[in-house]
Amino acid sequence: MDPVTAVLRGVPMTLYLTFGAFVIGAIGGVPLALALRSGTWPVRAISRLVVDFVRGVPIIVWLFVLKFGLAGEGIRFTPLTAGVIGLGLVSAAYLAEIYRGGLQTVPIGQLEAANALGLSRSVTFRRVIAPQAFRIVSPSVATYLMGLLKDSSIASTIIVGEIVFQAQSYARQHPTAVGIIPYVVAGLFYIVLSIPVAYFSRKLDRRMREEIY
Amino acid sequence: MTLTGVEAGERAGNVGIDLDHISKRFGDHVVLDDVSLHVAPGTVTALIGPSGAGKSTFLRCINLLERPDSGTIRVAGHTIEPGKEIRSRDLAALRSTVGMVFQSFNLFPHMSVLDNISFPQQNVLKRTKSEANDRSMQLLERVGLPEKADQFPTRCSGGQQQRIAIARALALDPSIMLFDEPTSAIDPEIGLEVLAVMRELAAEGMTMIVVTHEMQFARDVSDTLVVMADCRIIERGNPREIMSEPTQARTRQFLRAVLER
Repeated sequence: MDPVTAVLRGVPMTLYLTFGAFVIGAIGGVPLALALRSGTWPVRAISRLVVDFVRGVPIIVWLFVLKFGLAGEGIRFTPLTAGVIGLGLVSAAYLAEIYRGGLQTVPIGQLEAANALGLSRSVTFRRVIAPQAFRIVSPSVATYLMGLLKDSSIASTIIVGEIVFQAQSYARQHPTAVGIIPYVVAGLFYIVLSIPVAYFSRKLDRRMREEIY
Repeated sequence: MTLTGVEAGERAGNVGIDLDHISKRFGDHVVLDDVSLHVAPGTVTALIGPSGAGKSTFLRCINLLERPDSGTIRVAGHTIEPGKEIRSRDLAALRSTVGMVFQSFNLFPHMSVLDNISFPQQNVLKRTKSEANDRSMQLLERVGLPEKADQFPTRCSGGQQQRIAIARALALDPSIMLFDEPTSAIDPEIGLEVLAVMRELAAEGMTMIVVTHEMQFARDVSDTLVVMADCRIIERGNPREIMSEPTQARTRQFLRAVLER
């Protein structure tokens, strides 16, 4: 087998890890971001602690804890599940911080206008505040997504058969070939995969900018 | 409810509002010191005074954007004591009776002009999209901006945005309108078009409370002039009388400063 075909077999796993974790993070980040901005200080303190703790521990440690550390407690994840949960957890913490920054940029007058009109809290958030914050954070979220795509390679350490894992095993099985080639191929795959994310993010951003400004 | 007849009358602009002994402090800093104001139905009250007097804070206390520490608000059959717990039913009634226009317009930048006016109607009054849009277009005609319906607010001038904001507030059929320095963020010349809409509204019998630095508007349009300084109301009465013969030295000083500019 040639290195391209071998590494290609890892692409679906990489995509699965990336998008699975991204969905968990993108959704889980919302309540966390709101908690970070809560008017009740214990809620704020606890969520701050959670976010800093999750971000402070390296992804590889999270993956090992989820895959191997919890086995003793009777919680056994498949490598893929552990990978998606671990990366999703870390994504939720990072995205919560990005969302919080975005929410902060929405002028207080928007909230006051919504209150004065008598809109409910949930309508105010969903229809007034969140859409404006989304416009602000969308480039940062896309940047995070591209980073996550590459960070998903850490899951190779818990035996998830993604791109880097496939490159490694090809290199190991073909000691006669030039060792670096499968890794160069892996690198090229990451570039190819991240181009559409960058493209659509720029397009989305430009469209939203034209609408408002 | 048996109140329907009364409420129908209220919608025609026959609602006043009573504010009694409103006090508010931010930490140790007193911003409102026992302020009372009774606004008769269908009248225009202009609130003037130097910066920091508490005019805007007082106006924001009326619809509870700012929550007073003590006092009583009576409007449309509801009594609210902001120092105590506020029932959501009372808050909703207050907000639906009282519309507000801000100095900085606060239109929703991600919605078209039409959606800015229609979306609150659909949510708060449960109007259908077409009912809401009909009403919005009617109001846009009234403020002279029907051609802006499909544009985004940031494409409009300050005066246009403020007229749209007035239309947005009116679309919810309020009985009382609060204006917080509605022309202060606008070019003086363009402010005239906003004042014209407000004059029309006053002539139709809308109950209005207006914080303003537009002395001519205050003199010509308001029924009651209220002068605030140092967190309290220092003088109130007929606008022409106060402007020509203020009884308080502080009022005289303020009027001299604004009129002789």
